[in-house]
Amino acid sequence: MSNPTFEAGDITLEQVREFVWEIPQEGDMRAPARVLASETLLEEIREDKTLEQITNTTHLPGITNYAICMPDGHQGYGFPVGGVGALDAENGCISPGAVGYDINCGVRMMRTNLTYDELQGREEELVDSLFANIPSGLGGGGVVEAGVDTVDEILARGVDWALENGHAVEDDLLHCEDEGMREGANPEKVSQKAKDRGKNQIGSLGSGNHFLEVQRVTDIFDDEVGEAYGLEADQIVVLIHCGSRGLGHQTCNDYLRKIEQQHQGLLNQLPDKELAAAPAGSQLAEDYYGAMNAAINFAWVNRQLIMHRTRRVFERVFDRSWEAMDMHLLYDVAHNIAKKETHTVAGDERDLYVHRKGATRAFPAGHPEVPAAYRDVGQPVIIPGSMGAGSYVLRGGEHSMDLTFGSTAHGAGRLMSRTRAKNEFWGGDVQDELEEQQQIYVKAQSGATVAEEAPGVYKDVDEVVRVSDALGIGDKVARTFPVCNIKG
Amino acid sequence: MGFELRDHTADVAVAATGGSLEAVFAAVADGLTACSTDEVPNAGKRFSLAVAAESREALLFDYLDELIYLRDVRAELPVDHRVESISGPTVESANGDDPTADPPWEVTATARGVPLAELDAREVKAVTYSEMRLENVADGWEAYVVFDI
Repeated sequence: MSNPTFEAGDITLEQVREFVWEIPQEGDMRAPARVLASETLLEEIREDKTLEQITNTTHLPGITNYAICMPDGHQGYGFPVGGVGALDAENGCISPGAVGYDINCGVRMMRTNLTYDELQGREEELVDSLFANIPSGLGGGGVVEAGVDTVDEILARGVDWALENGHAVEDDLLHCEDEGMREGANPEKVSQKAKDRGKNQIGSLGSGNHFLEVQRVTDIFDDEVGEAYGLEADQIVVLIHCGSRGLGHQTCNDYLRKIEQQHQGLLNQLPDKELAAAPAGSQLAEDYYGAMNAAINFAWVNRQLIMHRTRRVFERVFDRSWEAMDMHLLYDVAHNIAKKETHTVAGDERDLYVHRKGATRAFPAGHPEVPAAYRDVGQPVIIPGSMGAGSYVLRGGEHSMDLTFGSTAHGAGRLMSRTRAKNEFWGGDVQDELEEQQQIYVKAQSGATVAEEAPGVYKDVDEVVRVSDALGIGDKVARTFPVCNIKG
Repeated sequence: MGFELRDHTADVAVAATGGSLEAVFAAVADGLTACSTDEVPNAGKRFSLAVAAESREALLFDYLDELIYLRDVRAELPVDHRVESISGPTVESANGDDPTADPPWEVTATARGVPLAELDAREVKAVTYSEMRLENVADGWEAYVVFDI
């Protein structure tokens, strides 16, 4: 008996097993593509160009096993958002387009020992104070304004720079991927233009889907892991979602253009110019890797400065020290990144550039790259939902290394375009409804941003997490629900 | 002639037309402005910019990239775009093999810079090459550009 299939226009997906669908290799594809989804999610994924884009990704030289679309996948540019592609680091390539513009866009979660009871009645004061003190939107400046020398130090040293300059404590470094400093970062490979854009944006949210949210823990699904992460029901936590700002955006574009000028041959083999890639071992591949790692450091510092400023805001609102409120970093995960990692492929150890674009690393318990604090239970994975829905904390699942090169989803995934969202929702109404019906306090620089990020424009985060959990790539640990949200 | 914003799940696309290459470049840039804000106040001073690149498409990409760069470093949203001139390769440079030669395509343009503090605007992160089209049609030029939001 043949496996069930799913027809999506010109593309036929074959079911490998529950929640695993494959687009078979044909034509110029160098590997099959896989989509990890329930049929409900697949019905949504088929609506835009996600499937075409994940198929295009398999044309990249060195693609290993298969290109993978996560359950929250949706159309992006070149690579789909929610895409994972492991490209051979010796014979393959590295693709700035497959990392995306917002290098190390990601999320971090900070714990507190406050309960929802203690916060209720103070929501407006808190949201106003956060909004006044955390730079957001276009041209809102940053927590620090720096000269180019400082930018170079941030690019080279990451959160270590923040520690030395009073914006972090030692413990923050121990709870961040790579301890907040990416090795191999080369500030010299980041252009002056990129540095000029970044220097006024250090410690700023930006706009679009980026936000800072105060949340309460509503459910603990796994008591043992919940305890290891320091999470319990009714606790207040803070989630911060942003990236490398103009510095990262400019870095991506600078290298897309260099590839176009220097590696036209490879570019011409690819079905989408936005997949532009530099061959592994070339000077440009090395330069981009150094620049991208530097931009990763910049993004970590960005989130660190916002988190540290948030501690100060809580101190003022609740009139006690942040240490007394136990405001510690739970973890920081990157969404848009390419990392050289060693994976076992058909029994052999191979070095791969694992591209995760709108996907999260999800290493399981025991993996040496999981920070010591969490090595026994697995790496924390933070999945932000929309403004009106919950977010999740997962832990890297035991099957992630076999199925997804140690990756899972990164969020709810968009469903509706921004232009349509603006026609269907009005920012003020969305804000009022959230406040009146769900006691969620939202403050934004732009009403249009609220409309475009309305809860209705996103996929069902519960369904995304259900698939991740069932596949064992990211297991449910806890769920949180928004209390206050600020955005650009 | 002008532009339309088109649906794209995560981002925004601009479809533009113009009677000349200059006109279509300006229309895409006006589309970029429309991606950033719904209402353009009557404030700010005009400034000029010049960009050079190795092909017509690359020139459009670099022109839009430069506008986004200038927005961040000037802290002004460029609006009301005017493209003064676009020049292509001359016969000599088109035949030349010198890779260090200046890129043969050039655009000179102006825009009015509205201080970001006076605007309700959102950030367009970058111009992308994804699905980009720039085509000569019967009555002028058509362009399609996706911007990352």
